[in-house]
Amino acid sequence: MNKIITSGFIVLFLVPALCGQELTGEDIVQKVNDLFNVESGYAKAKMTIMTTSGQKRTFVYESWSKNKGEKNLVRYLEPGRVKGQATLMLNNADDIWMYFPRTQRVRKLASHAKKQKMQGSDFSYEDMGSGDAFINDFSPKRLKDEKMEGYDCYKLELTRKPDTDVSYSRLIMWVIKESFVPVVIDYYDEDDPALQEKRLVESDIRVIDNIPTAMKVVMHNKNDNTQTELELLEVRYNITLADSMFTERGLKK
Amino acid sequence: MKKWLAVLVFLSLSLSAHAAQDSIELFGYFESQAMGADIKNEFLLLYSNKLRVDLKSSLSEKVTFAANFDYITFHGKTEWNILDFLRSDVIAEVPAGAESFFVLPFSDRHFLDNAYLKLSFKSFDLTVGKQQISLGTGYVWNPTDVFNIKELFDPTYEQPGYNALRLDIPLGSTYTLTTLFSPEDTWKNSAKLIQIKGRISHFDYSLTGIEKVWRFHDYTQFDFVNMNFLELPGKRKLLGASTAGELLGLGVWAEYAYNWMENSEDFYELVVGTDYTFNFQTYMMIEYYRNTLGKTDYEQYNLNDWMRMIALEQKAISRDQIYVFIQHPVADLLSVGISTICSISDNSFALVPTLNYSLSDNVEVFAYLNINFGKEGKVFAKNMGNGGVIRARVYF
Repeated sequence: MNKIITSGFIVLFLVPALCGQELTGEDIVQKVNDLFNVESGYAKAKMTIMTTSGQKRTFVYESWSKNKGEKNLVRYLEPGRVKGQATLMLNNADDIWMYFPRTQRVRKLASHAKKQKMQGSDFSYEDMGSGDAFINDFSPKRLKDEKMEGYDCYKLELTRKPDTDVSYSRLIMWVIKESFVPVVIDYYDEDDPALQEKRLVESDIRVIDNIPTAMKVVMHNKNDNTQTELELLEVRYNITLADSMFTERGLKK
Repeated sequence: MKKWLAVLVFLSLSLSAHAAQDSIELFGYFESQAMGADIKNEFLLLYSNKLRVDLKSSLSEKVTFAANFDYITFHGKTEWNILDFLRSDVIAEVPAGAESFFVLPFSDRHFLDNAYLKLSFKSFDLTVGKQQISLGTGYVWNPTDVFNIKELFDPTYEQPGYNALRLDIPLGSTYTLTTLFSPEDTWKNSAKLIQIKGRISHFDYSLTGIEKVWRFHDYTQFDFVNMNFLELPGKRKLLGASTAGELLGLGVWAEYAYNWMENSEDFYELVVGTDYTFNFQTYMMIEYYRNTLGKTDYEQYNLNDWMRMIALEQKAISRDQIYVFIQHPVADLLSVGISTICSISDNSFALVPTLNYSLSDNVEVFAYLNINFGKEGKVFAKNMGNGGVIRARVYF
């Protein structure tokens, strides 16, 4: 979830030295992964779920991240039903705690909780790319370059590594050559690598504090025919955040 | 009732006006609930409406005030005779002339549930006033929580506030020392708590020491002067530990408490639990609970056992219990689940199918059925009443 708000939409400009080099799949994924993780950041985001019946559910939340995404805190502002609920993720989301203000309880969650849908949306916490998931859980292979969403892109296939517990057998990713923004990601069924489950599309890419930032991300669920849209309302990078924010005490504030 | 409604409306309007000027947050929910139970071939219904108004104000960066007021009305079958649920040999223990005191009334209530001031400094947080006290890592049962007993069929429902003074002192980034004092009529009778919480690797753990008076009642003796059952207060000293983390990809937690009792037998409680989310989104949880105050033979359950469980004086009357819960999001706005609570000691269990539906952004519907499978006299006996609850909640 943290990646969505702070780093999931953002990438640095391509370092000039990379231009002209023939990048391998590993190089590109490493770049995407590295550039996902800004030193620190704050964002306010709106998540809109569009259901099969055409109904909408809207959530607004704030997020803070530090140490290149190693520490993350997310707190819901709207709707009233979830107001004050917060999630703290440390050690690249290996340690997760959730705070429920109505019962004032903090619950430690195991990493399998990342498979759960985020507030019933088409995003699982895992989809947000916790930690170094693209590198640790998948083996990349560079495919033939393609144009996607109007951008010249690197096309990659990421195949699930053996002995990992991710929910997808493989991903196909289109990465904008200019900025390393993964403009489209296709997610394939965990058991059937030919069956596409979801497609993520990033758009409205703006440069904020010299960092290209996708202000809008839409996840289309092919199985359920639903979609969830994430829109950044406010973003700030490289801000000073106290370590004490990223503790149980900070979670309950 | 009209007077309280007027006060509430006035309070809401005043606070709304004030909230517009200052940084007072006003929120809460309205909850409408219907509960039914099949008792002696008749399906009895109890309806309730609850309005909870929360307010929170950050008076400064270091000072926060929070409070909530609850107003609850009951309708339908508002008096339940507990003796309808008990075996004849247990009913025989009821003191003569006290039968009418075994009727459980559901009366309209309004009360200030929580109201506290929180002072946050760099080196400590001090919380003063009525506040929720949540202890332990267990989901259904919390051996280290001497303040609350969760509802078995609805364990995540909010708990009441307790008058207390709480001090939390962070010790570095991973440890916290907590002390809590919950006043009673004398210092000696007041509850005192000390807890250290920390983290090693991917595990949280805590050590807790508590001293509190436990106010049991003897339901076989009635005090006709005070018109109440005989109270048997006794000092309870508890030393407990809890942990939560991840093992082999599974979420795991455990909680243990040993209790030294002033006037009765010492006992211990233990909880061990695990959970997992499958790739197809199904969530599963298992929790085991042991309470050595509980009995191993249901024939030994007596009037005090039943009443202490119903009056939430004691967490369980059978020694060993297990809770299994499975939930799956069947649609984007709908989750269904089923839990079973099994009393291993007396071979009875209840099945509890559940449903959560998001009707709109701020409206949710929650429902469950409870179907008991057990012989008369057991914890989950059929005659305890099969039924269920449906609840709609609107947040504002």
